Amino acid sequence: MKILIRLILLTLALLALTGEATALATSAEITAANNVYVSNVTYDPGSFFTGDAGTVTVAVTNGNANQSIVANHATFGFDNNFQLTSGSYDTSSTVGPLQTRTYTFSVITQSADGSYYPTFSLNIGDATSIYYRGLVKVDNTPIVATLIDKPDAFTPATKNTLSLQLANPREDDVKNVIVDVDGGSGADILPATQYIGVLSSGASTVVNFTVTPNVETTLNVTVKYDNGDNHHSVDLQIPVVFTTDKMQADPVMSNIVIALTNGTCDVTGDITNAGLSNANGVTVTSLSPAIPQEPDRNYVIGTLKPDDFGSFEITFTVPDGTTSVPLQLSYKDSDGNILSSVQNIDLTQTTAQPNSQPSMLPVLVVVIIAVIFVGGWYVYLRRHKE
Amino acid sequence: MGINIKDLMINPERFFRQALGEKEELRLPGLIIFLGAAIAAVSGYLAGSLSARMMEPVLQGMTPFIMAVAVIAAFFGTFVAWVIWAGVLYLLSRAFKGSGSFSRCLEVVGYGFVPQIIGMLVTVIAALVYLPKVIVPPLTSAAMQDPQVIKEATSALMHDPAMMAFTEITAVVSIIFLLWSASIWIFGLKQARNLSLKNAAICVMIPVILFIVFQAYSLAGA
Repeated sequence: MKILIRLILLTLALLALTGEATALATSAEITAANNVYVSNVTYDPGSFFTGDAGTVTVAVTNGNANQSIVANHATFGFDNNFQLTSGSYDTSSTVGPLQTRTYTFSVITQSADGSYYPTFSLNIGDATSIYYRGLVKVDNTPIVATLIDKPDAFTPATKNTLSLQLANPREDDVKNVIVDVDGGSGADILPATQYIGVLSSGASTVVNFTVTPNVETTLNVTVKYDNGDNHHSVDLQIPVVFTTDKMQADPVMSNIVIALTNGTCDVTGDITNAGLSNANGVTVTSLSPAIPQEPDRNYVIGTLKPDDFGSFEITFTVPDGTTSVPLQLSYKDSDGNILSSVQNIDLTQTTAQPNSQPSMLPVLVVVIIAVIFVGGWYVYLRRHKE
Repeated sequence: MGINIKDLMINPERFFRQALGEKEELRLPGLIIFLGAAIAAVSGYLAGSLSARMMEPVLQGMTPFIMAVAVIAAFFGTFVAWVIWAGVLYLLSRAFKGSGSFSRCLEVVGYGFVPQIIGMLVTVIAALVYLPKVIVPPLTSAAMQDPQVIKEATSALMHDPAMMAFTEITAVVSIIFLLWSASIWIFGLKQARNLSLKNAAICVMIPVILFIVFQAYSLAGA
């Protein structure tokens, strides 16, 4: 009986000793968990647009010098501002002394502009958890595209250089910036697409491109860029309306005289450069329904300086009943662009001209007079002799 | 020292019988030539204005100079023509053993110039009517570098309808009055150089016919 009592007491004593030991181990874990901390949080992108998806990377560091910890169930979010799309970490892992373990979560936000503090939580062993709230912003400010230089005036077929400034007022960098310029069929753009790359926060850059408009049109400028992995763009419309270049050459036709000779219209006139720039290679020709004829199908005057003038003469035939014929005056500017203007001339003002070939009538008259004179003297001398 | 214009114009034989019977006198013929030179200067001014208009784009400010050259050339050219006609008649009459001084020839040619003064007046009137209608192709500084362009511009000026009409009228008029002058010269040369009427007519007609042929050739090729 005594032996049985002693065994019971021994068992109870062992049980008591075992429970104390268990109680001591839990306290050590708590102490170790106190030295575990979030050492870094990184958002990509650094600042979200509403609707942007991104990632957040949380670095957890075990600050204990000699004790590992067991990390369980890491998760992120806890509210509707940033929704987790990648799931939480539900497996256990050991983080050694002074080691760092990173946790990456995919998130998406539909929140409006503002500052948000989503929570990261991590269970450490069975004893405790750590919570961390970090700042992240939703900012819908786009990058800014501004037209900073353009010609005073657009004129047909003239190449002009335009300059755009791209500025990034956001708090994070944007990447893969691409500028697309579309002029439709009304304008030739060079280059139509330019890759800029990264545009840092607070930075700006200038993009130049040339436009050669054929008709009045609107240039659609699209600046595409990525905020993280999210595509965004801004648009800019640049109207191309033809106006008069105040400095351009301005050849003007005047003193038009239309003569009809042997069925061929012979048009003469003057061209004066009333502009402020040289007009190079000034050429005059007739357009349909006129049919250019030799000897002056076209007439090249050459270069006309401001206030200089030159004469031209062109010849053509027209179908019966034609009352008006367009004359095309073309010249080149200093860039080699060919500029043209058309002026209709009224053929009802045509004056029929005699054949420009010298008439033989005056010669005949002279010969007759001379013959009469000589003959008269011959007769006179014969009579005088008699 | 009077001059019977009526005799000179329609009965030159009687006129020269009287005029050349006296001492050599060049003042009256010189005055006639001077009058002709003055009218020729007016014609020169009108013709020079065409050249000035043509050259205006490249010779800005030179218009007075061009006009002055035209007027002076026309004025003194008349005196030169007087001497040349007299010289030609003098040399040709020598071939027919003509006697008499060169001054007499100058005198005869000077008197015989009167019909041509009338012709010059008609020419001036024609110039006033036709030359303002001429379309003058101005030459630019660029065109002046190209002889072909200058040639074409000059051709265009000469083929202008108004210019052609003016040229034809002046040619016919000048020949009619030249022939009238030639008739006077024949009788004058007969007296001045002691020639037969036939020889005097030959001496005068040779250069006159050559001149007319030249004029006709110019008209045909204009």
